[in-house]
Amino acid sequence: MARILDLHLHSEASDDSRAPVEAYLKWLTRKRDERPLEGLVLTEHRQFNKAGDYRDLEDKYGLLILKASEVETDYGHMLVYGVNDDIISRFDFKNVRLSAQEVITEVARLGGIAMPCHPGRPTIGLIEHYQKKPPLEGVVGVEALNGGSKKGENERVAGLVQAYGYHAFGGSDSHLVSFVGLCATEFDRDIKTIEDLVDALRAGGYRPLDFRVQRPQTPLAPEVPNHGCGI
Amino acid sequence: MAVEFDRSIIGQVFDETSFPPVTKEEILEFAAALGEKNPLYTDEAKAAKGPYGSLIAPPTLVTKLRAKKFTPEHLPKFGKVGFDGGRDLEIHAPIRPGDVLTMASTIHDIYEKTGRTGSMYFIVIRNEVTNQKGEKVAVIDHRIMQR
Repeated sequence: MARILDLHLHSEASDDSRAPVEAYLKWLTRKRDERPLEGLVLTEHRQFNKAGDYRDLEDKYGLLILKASEVETDYGHMLVYGVNDDIISRFDFKNVRLSAQEVITEVARLGGIAMPCHPGRPTIGLIEHYQKKPPLEGVVGVEALNGGSKKGENERVAGLVQAYGYHAFGGSDSHLVSFVGLCATEFDRDIKTIEDLVDALRAGGYRPLDFRVQRPQTPLAPEVPNHGCGI
Repeated sequence: MAVEFDRSIIGQVFDETSFPPVTKEEILEFAAALGEKNPLYTDEAKAAKGPYGSLIAPPTLVTKLRAKKFTPEHLPKFGKVGFDGGRDLEIHAPIRPGDVLTMASTIHDIYEKTGRTGSMYFIVIRNEVTNQKGEKVAVIDHRIMQR
C-alpha cells in the first residue's frame, strides 16, 4: 500500500541504466527521511519487462514495486501504465515512431493509461510538438516534474498544465541508484496494484513532490562594496 | 516497426581472432596500470596460495583485446558520425598466465532511440572471449552510437 511513489525510473533492464532494482530499494531505505517513498514504478525504455518478478524484494524492503513502460512517439516520450497482453500485442514498443494519438486512445481502450513524460524537453517533449501540431485528444496528465530534466525544462510545463487542464505528476527518471525518488507523486488514495495506479491516474487527486535538495545560490565572485570610486 | 535493416546479420560471427598467450608480465603491467593492490593480480607467491592457485589477470584485461575486424563488411551505416557508447562486461573464467584467448565477434543488436537531439542508432557488438580449454572467459557488449 503506497501513497507516495516514484512513477518514472529505469533499472538495468533498460539499455542505458545499470541500476539493479535492489540497489534502488536499499538506497530508498537509507534515504527514507529525505525521500519518504512507499513505492516505485519501473518504466523500462521501449519494452515491458514482463519477466521481472520483484515480489521477494517487495517483501524484503516493504516497498511497492510496479512495472510500466516508456515508449517513444511522434509527440515525444510517454509512460504507459497498466501494460497488459492486449497492449503488448497492439504496439511494437521498440518502434520509436509510434503514433501518440493511437497510443493514448488504444492504451486507454485496452485498460491502461499513457501519459507524456518530460514534456518540456526539446524533441522528445510534448510542448515542442504542440507548437507545430494539433493537441492530442485524451491526455489526462503529464509528468510536470522530471528529475532528469535540465534547467528550464520542468518550468515550461506549468503553462501546458494550465492551458489544457492536465493533471500533474512527478518522477525521478532515475537511471542511477542515487537519483531514485528525488521526484515523486503523492496520491490522495492508497495504491496497492497497477490497476489501482491506473484508476488513480485517470481520476486525479495527485501531485508531484520534489525531494531534491535546493542548494543556495552561490555568487560567482564575492561582492565588492562600492565605495563610490566610480568603477 | 523498429529500425529497418537486414536482420540476418544479427548473431553471425564476423570475426574470430586468437591472441598470443597471456604473460605474467602482461598481467602485472596491466594491474599496475590500474593501480591494483590485490595480490591475486600483483603477487605471484601470494596468489598461488589464494582461491585460484595462481596469479590471475584483472578481469578487465579482456577490454584491451582488439579484433581483426571491428565490424562486419556489410554493416549498414545509420548516420554520418559515431562514437563509443560504452561496454558491458560479463566475467566468467579467470585469466591465467599462458592462457590463449580467442575472441568471436557478432552483431548482437541494432536499435534506435530518440533523445533531446533527435534519433540515435545503437549497434551492439558482442565479443565472446574463450580460453584454450574452450571455457568462456568474458562477454563484452560494445555499443557504438551512430547518428
